[in-house]
Formats: sequence, structure tokens, C-alpha cells
Amino acid sequence: MDMSTVEHAMLTPSATSAPASGTKVTARACNVYYGEKHALKDVSVDIPERSITAFIGPSGCGKSTFLRCINRMNDTIASCRVTGKIEIDGQDIYDPALDVVQLRARVGMVFQKPNPFPKSIYENVAYGPRIHGIAKSKSDLDEVVISSLEKAGLLKEVKDRLNDSGTGLSGGQQQRLCIARAIAVSPEVILMDEPCSALDPIATAKVEELMDELKANYTIIIVTHSMQQAARVSQRTAFFHLGNLVEVGDTRQIFTNPKEQRTQDYITGRFG
Amino acid sequence: MNPHTVKTYDEELHLLDKKIAQMGGLAEHNLGQAFDALQKRDPRLADLVIVADHTIDVLEKEVEELVIQIIARRQPMANDLRQIMAAMRIANDLERVGDLAKNIAKRAGAIADEPHPKPVISGLGHMVEMALKQLKLALDAYAERDAERALKVWQDDQQIDAMYNSLFRELLTYMMENPRNIGISTHLLFGAKNLERVGDHTTNIAETVYYLVTGKPIGEERPKSDTTSQMLVQQGDR
Repeated sequence: MDMSTVEHAMLTPSATSAPASGTKVTARACNVYYGEKHALKDVSVDIPERSITAFIGPSGCGKSTFLRCINRMNDTIASCRVTGKIEIDGQDIYDPALDVVQLRARVGMVFQKPNPFPKSIYENVAYGPRIHGIAKSKSDLDEVVISSLEKAGLLKEVKDRLNDSGTGLSGGQQQRLCIARAIAVSPEVILMDEPCSALDPIATAKVEELMDELKANYTIIIVTHSMQQAARVSQRTAFFHLGNLVEVGDTRQIFTNPKEQRTQDYITGRFG
Repeated sequence: MNPHTVKTYDEELHLLDKKIAQMGGLAEHNLGQAFDALQKRDPRLADLVIVADHTIDVLEKEVEELVIQIIARRQPMANDLRQIMAAMRIANDLERVGDLAKNIAKRAGAIADEPHPKPVISGLGHMVEMALKQLKLALDAYAERDAERALKVWQDDQQIDAMYNSLFRELLTYMMENPRNIGISTHLLFGAKNLERVGDHTTNIAETVYYLVTGKPIGEERPKSDTTSQMLVQQGDR
């Protein structure tokens, strides 16, 4: 990676583009190796809190790899090695003393394919608060489940059938159930790995609307293959290519006037 | 620039540029011919300009339609987005230039039988030359995506404004000399005003080109020299 790219990647939000609040996630010289393969190269970036940051780039560019570093999902892959530093609120999340389970409660994740547990709608949402000891009593738990479903914009559709199986819902409802499950443990950061790629346009719009509401309270990072989705939902956009963070900036700027030729070629459909 | 993975997208953008070039050529041609008609007192030539303006209007509609299609079907981004927005705006300005040329042609028809005040006609001639030169430069800047040239066009518009101011003063004086001059002078004054407006549309085109190329608006306040809106000529003011 050449120095100019590093400089871009290190750019903190400028005065004009700064979100109202501070930085939530900080990565410095982050590298990821899958065995011999150098999948992520020297990525340094600041992610502002209470806003939506989109990661875009062609398949295999490292965007999902980087996303999975932020809640240490890569730990589950034996051949994977992560170097560099990632901090959340100034706390090193690769600190050996850190409890990974606690970290994943703070950093929730929503995947490409909706993956509700084969349990009731209620149990899907109650599972996290229960194992993390968030709810003291049954009525506490009820409240967490209801408010999470409410925040996920799903309550109206499921309130009369909380004991039905989560897998019986439509794809879009299942994905919002997974979002409800993620926010039930009061995370600070929500990672979304192509959350809408298996959904129809209406369900996608509902998830996007939900993200827009959630950004008031959560820091959201979304990996998406849809440039239009990144442009629609995010405030900041980061473009990855061949493991490098090529450019990060205001979404408005990235999609109207990107600085890097590679970014421009990618978002205008001129790649390869 | 690298081609798009989808070839028909490139073809559409290319077609857009082609239509703009066509419109630009016609607008230049009509403006020149409108002045010729005026200078030569040739109402038939004037009629040709009036008829030819229709082609520019049709092309503008085509550009608009194409732009809407591209937005709907391709969801353009970055430089592509800037290009199609630029094409739409430039088509709009060129259509207006066409209208102004047509208006001059109509006036040429109306005053074909009047005696010409020579210095005013030659002043108008210089203004047409300047307006055409500027328009050509702006269109070249578009074709070549040349921000520097666009900036130059933008700055030089004040020369047209200065010519307009001087013609304005001259025509007022001419009217005061003899009330019988008022009819033709008013037509010529509107003609001069039309050319000044052509300069403004050219400036718009230059601004658009600058944005298209750099992604930024032209920053500073444009130097403006049309002062006729505050101008009065007193009796005996020569």
C-alpha cells in the first residue's frame, strides 16, 4: 500500500463532514492473514459513533474481513491472524484480558441470510438478555423482548404470535427479528454483513428505514454490494479493494466526487 | 477513462455528448445567421433562423428524455452523474441561446426596411463575434472536459457586458437625437440585450463544465460589469 492511500485511510472526519459526535471505533494498521493470504492490508480508519458507515468494494476486497475484526469473529477461524490495533471507545478489543463474549454483547452482528434460532419469536429475542443476565425477572425480560421488537419495527406484525416459530416469518421479518435479537442485549455497535441481499425491495426498504432510526442510538457499520444502498443509508463510506482501504469519506462526496480513480471506476461500473 | 463494464451505458453517455455538440453547433450557427440577417436586412435569412430553432428545441427534448432514462435505468454515480446533470443543464442553456438567436432574427425581419445607424450595427457585430467566440470556447471546454478553459470563459464574460454597456449608452443617445430613431433603436437595444444574455448562458455552461470536471462549483463571485440597470442618460449627456 502506498503512502497516499495510508494518508487517506487515516483521515479523520474533516470539519465540514464531522458527525455531531465523536469516534466510536478506531483501527490502526490493521492486517489480517488467512494462513499465507494477506486479506487486509494496513487498514487505519475512524468510525464515528451514532451514524452509519458503509463498507463497499468488490468480492474479496477485505470489507467483510475487516467488519468481522470489529467483534473478533475472525477468532473463530483457526488459520486467521490479526495484527494492528482496534479500539472501541479507546479500549483495545484485542487485549488478551478482554472477555470476548462481553465484547460481542457490545458489538452485535446481523448476517446476510436471516438466521433466527429454531425457537419461538419470543425466545429468539430473549436468548441474549437471558445469557448475559440483563433481565432480572420474567417481567423485565418481557419488557426487553417487547421493546426490542418495537425498536426493530416488528412488534406490530408479531405481537399476537410471539410463541410461533421465528423461522415461520417471511425473510424480511426474519431479518428484522435478527436485528431485534441483536439490539436486545443493548449493543453499542451493530455490524451488518449484507443484511438485505436476500430480501425483496419492500423488506429492504423496511430494514433501511429501521437502520435510519437505530442510528440515533447505535453505531452501525454495514457491508453492502449495493452501491445504491450504501448511498441511501450511510453517512460515511469506505471503499476497499484488494485488501486495501482505498478511500473513506462523506457518503455525499464519495458518490458525487470521489478522490481516488479506483473508487470512481468501481462506483460507476468501470472496474476490470 | 476506462469503459463501463456495460457497453450500452457508454454508448448512451456518448450519444448524450453527441447531441450536446449538435445543439451547440446549431446554436452558434443560428446566432451568426440571425445577425447576418439583421446586418444584410434579409428577412428570408431571418425566417430560416426562426425555422431552424425548432431543431434545437427537439434536441433539447431528446437530451432530457435520455437523461431521465439513464437516471432511471443506470443509477449514475460520481463523474457519470455529473456528466448527465451537466448535459441536461447545458442543453437547457443552449436551447435558450437558440431562442435568443430566434428573437434577434425576428427583430431583423421587423427592421429590415429601416435605415441602419452604422456605428451601432458594427458595435453589435463585435458583440456577436465575442459572444460566438465565448460560446465556442465553452463548448470546446465541455467536449474536452477542460476546467481551465471553462474558467477563462467565465472570467471573460465581463467583456461582453462592457460592450453592452457602451451600446446601451450609444442607443439612448441616438434615440434622443431624433424620436424617429426610437423604433429601430429599441429593436437594436433588445438585440444587444439578447447577446448579453447569450453571454450569461455561456457563463452558465462554463460553470457547469467546471463542476463536471472538478466536482466543485466555481468558487469566487463572478466579475459582473453589466451596469445598465442603473444607467440613465440625461439630456445633453454625450
